[in-house]
Amino acid sequence: MSSKANKILILATETCAYPGADSVGQAHSSYPANTYILRVKAPVLFPESFYIDCFKKGISGIIVMSCGEECPYEGAYKALADRLNSVYQKMKALNLDLKRLRLTAICTVCNRAFLNEINQMNELVNKLGPPQPA
Amino acid sequence: MMKENDKKVGVYICYCGGNISDHVDVEAVRNRVEKMPGVAVAKTNMFMCSDPGQELIIDDLKSGKIDRVVVASCAPSLHETTFRGAIERAGANPFIYEHANIREQVSWVHHGDPATDKATVLISAAAAKARKLKPLEPIRVDAKKHAVVIGGGIAGIKSALEIARNGIEVAIIEKTGSLGGNLNNLGRLAPSGENASDILQEILGKVKAAPSITIHTGCEVTDVQGYVGNFTLDVKGRTDSFKIDTGAIVMATGSVSYQPFEGEFGFGTYPQVITLPTLIEALKQSKYQTETGWFEFGGKPVRNIAMIHCVGSRQIPGIHEPRENGQLNEYCSRTCCSAVLNAANQIKERFAKTRVVDMYRDIRTYGRGQEALYDRASANKVVFMRYEADAMPTVEKSSTPDFPLTVKIKDGLTFNEEMDVPADLVVLATGIEPSDVSGLASAMKLPVGTDRFLLEVHPKLRPVEFPVAGVFLAGTCQAPMDAGEACNAAGAAAAKTCALLSKGVIELDPFVAEVNPDKCQGHGNCVDACIKEGALKLVDVQRGGKTVTQAQVTAAMCLGCGACAAVCPEKAIDLNGWALEQYEDMVDAIVAA
Repeated sequence: MSSKANKILILATETCAYPGADSVGQAHSSYPANTYILRVKAPVLFPESFYIDCFKKGISGIIVMSCGEECPYEGAYKALADRLNSVYQKMKALNLDLKRLRLTAICTVCNRAFLNEINQMNELVNKLGPPQPA
Repeated sequence: MMKENDKKVGVYICYCGGNISDHVDVEAVRNRVEKMPGVAVAKTNMFMCSDPGQELIIDDLKSGKIDRVVVASCAPSLHETTFRGAIERAGANPFIYEHANIREQVSWVHHGDPATDKATVLISAAAAKARKLKPLEPIRVDAKKHAVVIGGGIAGIKSALEIARNGIEVAIIEKTGSLGGNLNNLGRLAPSGENASDILQEILGKVKAAPSITIHTGCEVTDVQGYVGNFTLDVKGRTDSFKIDTGAIVMATGSVSYQPFEGEFGFGTYPQVITLPTLIEALKQSKYQTETGWFEFGGKPVRNIAMIHCVGSRQIPGIHEPRENGQLNEYCSRTCCSAVLNAANQIKERFAKTRVVDMYRDIRTYGRGQEALYDRASANKVVFMRYEADAMPTVEKSSTPDFPLTVKIKDGLTFNEEMDVPADLVVLATGIEPSDVSGLASAMKLPVGTDRFLLEVHPKLRPVEFPVAGVFLAGTCQAPMDAGEACNAAGAAAAKTCALLSKGVIELDPFVAEVNPDKCQGHGNCVDACIKEGALKLVDVQRGGKTVTQAQVTAAMCLGCGACAAVCPEKAIDLNGWALEQYEDMVDAIVAA
C-alpha cells in the first residue's frame, strides 16, 4: 500500500468541484495519488470538530472545493466561510499550520485551478509532513 | 433492527473495458476488498453497466447474499442512477447504494501501483459509508396542478402556453402593462427577417384564446411562501393585492438593455449618439425607403453611421469604468453582434446611400444562419474597423462643419492606422443586463451569479432548474440569449414543470435532514443555522408523558445542504444519505489504508 503519510482530503461539492475533478479525469491530467475526493452536497455539513478530527487522525491537508459565490444553497457559502474561520482559530490553538486547510472554489471545468490547488497542497504537506496537533 | 456490523456489502468492480483495468489491477483490488469488514461479496466485470454486470447485483440481492451495494466504476454522474435502477429491479430500496469513482478520479489520472492502491482506498471508504446507509423513501407531497410564470416576455409566454397545452392551469404575472417584453421593442429579427410584432401577435392570440391561462399585468410578486407543489405568492397590483396558490414557478423575469452612462462614447453629451434599441425603433418607424436614398434620423439625412460594438459588455476591470455599485459586465451579451449587423444590412438595403462603419472588438455571429449576416454586411459594403479593448474609439465633436461628430479609432485591420471617421449618427451596440429581481431572488433563496443573472443548478445535469424544488427558469433572466434560445429554454422549463405537476403528487429526493427524537434536546441551533426559512422549526411534542420542545423538519422544504447537522451539540440531526457520521467513517477508512 502507499505511504500512510501526507494524505490530502478533498471535500468536493457535487454540483461544481466534483464534476470538476471528473473533468480533470476526462482530460487525463495526472495529479498526485495521495488525494482522496469525497463528494458532498455542501461542505457546510461539517462542524469544526470534523476538520480537527481529520488532522488528529492523520490527514495532512484538507482542501474544501466549494462552488464559491455560485453555491446553489443561498447563504451556505457564507456560513461555510465563517465556519472555517473558527476552524482556523482552533488550528492555531493546536499549533497546526493553517495552510493545511484551504477553502477554494472550483467549477465544473476549472481543470487548471483544480490541479494548481492539489499541487500546492501536495508541496506543502510534503514539506510539513503529517500533522502533529499540540 | 440490524446493526451496521450486520450489513452485508456487495462490492462490484468494473474493468470498463480496459479504461480502468489498464491502470488499476482490478483483481488485486478485488482480493483486498474481499477481506474488508462488512464486505460479503466482491466481484469484477468487464462492464458493470452492461446487463450481465447489473445481473450480478440483482442476483446477489435476490439471494440475500448482500443488502448494501457499492459499484466501483466511472463517475457517478454517468451510472449512479443505472445501478440504483438495478437495485430497484431486484426489489430492494435504491438508496442502499454507494458509488466509488475509480475511472475519472483514479485510472484516468494515476497509473501503476498508486492507482491500484487509491482505488482500494476509495472502495474501502465507499463500503464504510454503505454500511451506514439506510433504506429511504421518496418524500411524497400533494401538488397543485397550477403554475405561475413570473414575467410575460417571450420566454414567459412560451412557457405558459406549453404548460397550459398539457392541461395545467397557468397564471402569468407581468409587471408592465402588457405582455411581450423586449420583443415589443424589436423590429425584423435576425437571421430570418421576420417581424417581431407578427410573431408576437400570433403568440399573444394563442395566449388570450387559452382558457387555462390567466394574465395579470401591472402586477409584481412581492413574496413567495411554501414549497414545491404548494407555493403561495403575494402579488401586488396597481390597485389591489392578492394571493395565488400554485404548484410550481417559472422565473422568466427577462432582461433590459444596457443604459450607457453620461459621456460613455459621447452618450448624453451629443444627441447624435444613440443606443441600438433607439436605432431599431427608428428603423421600425421609418418609411421603408426615402426619396433621397439616405436613412433619416430626427428628420435629418444620415450620411455616415458609426456603430460601436461591445458597449456595456465584455468590460474589463482596470479598463472600463464600473457603475456606481462597482458592477462591471464582464460577460459577452451574445446577441448584439447579430443585431448590429442585422440593422446595418437593413440600412444598406433600404437606404443605399447611407454609409455604415462597423467598429468591433470581435464579431460573434454565433448560431444557425447568423454568420450569413456578416457575409451579407460585407457584400453590402459595410466598412469594418477593429479596435482593441485598451484602445477604444472615442466620439468627439467634429472640428469641421461637414459632420457633427468624429469617431477616432485605431484600426487593427489596417495595422493600427489612426482614423477619424466623420459621423452623422453613432450607434452604441448596448448589451443585455438582467432585470433586477434581487428582492425576489433573496426571498425565494434563488442563487444569483456574480454577473447578476440567475443561476441554474447545472447546465448539463439539471438545466433550467433551481436548487429550490419546483422553481425553474427560462429566458434572459439566466443569460443573454436571442428570442429563439429563450423559447428553447421556455420549452425546457415548461416540460419540467409539467413532468413535476402532472401526477398531482410529487416524489422528492429523500436526501433531507432528519431529527433523531431520542437525542434532540430542542436547543434550536439547527433552526438558527438553517438557510431555508420554514424548513426547520421547533415544536412542542409529547414524549414519555411530558411536553418537550424538539426540532422538526418540513421535508418538502429542506434543501438538503446539511447546515443544521454541523451545529447540533447532540448530533441529533443529520442528512439522510449524506450523513456526517458516514463521512467520519469514510475518513477513518482513508487513514487506515
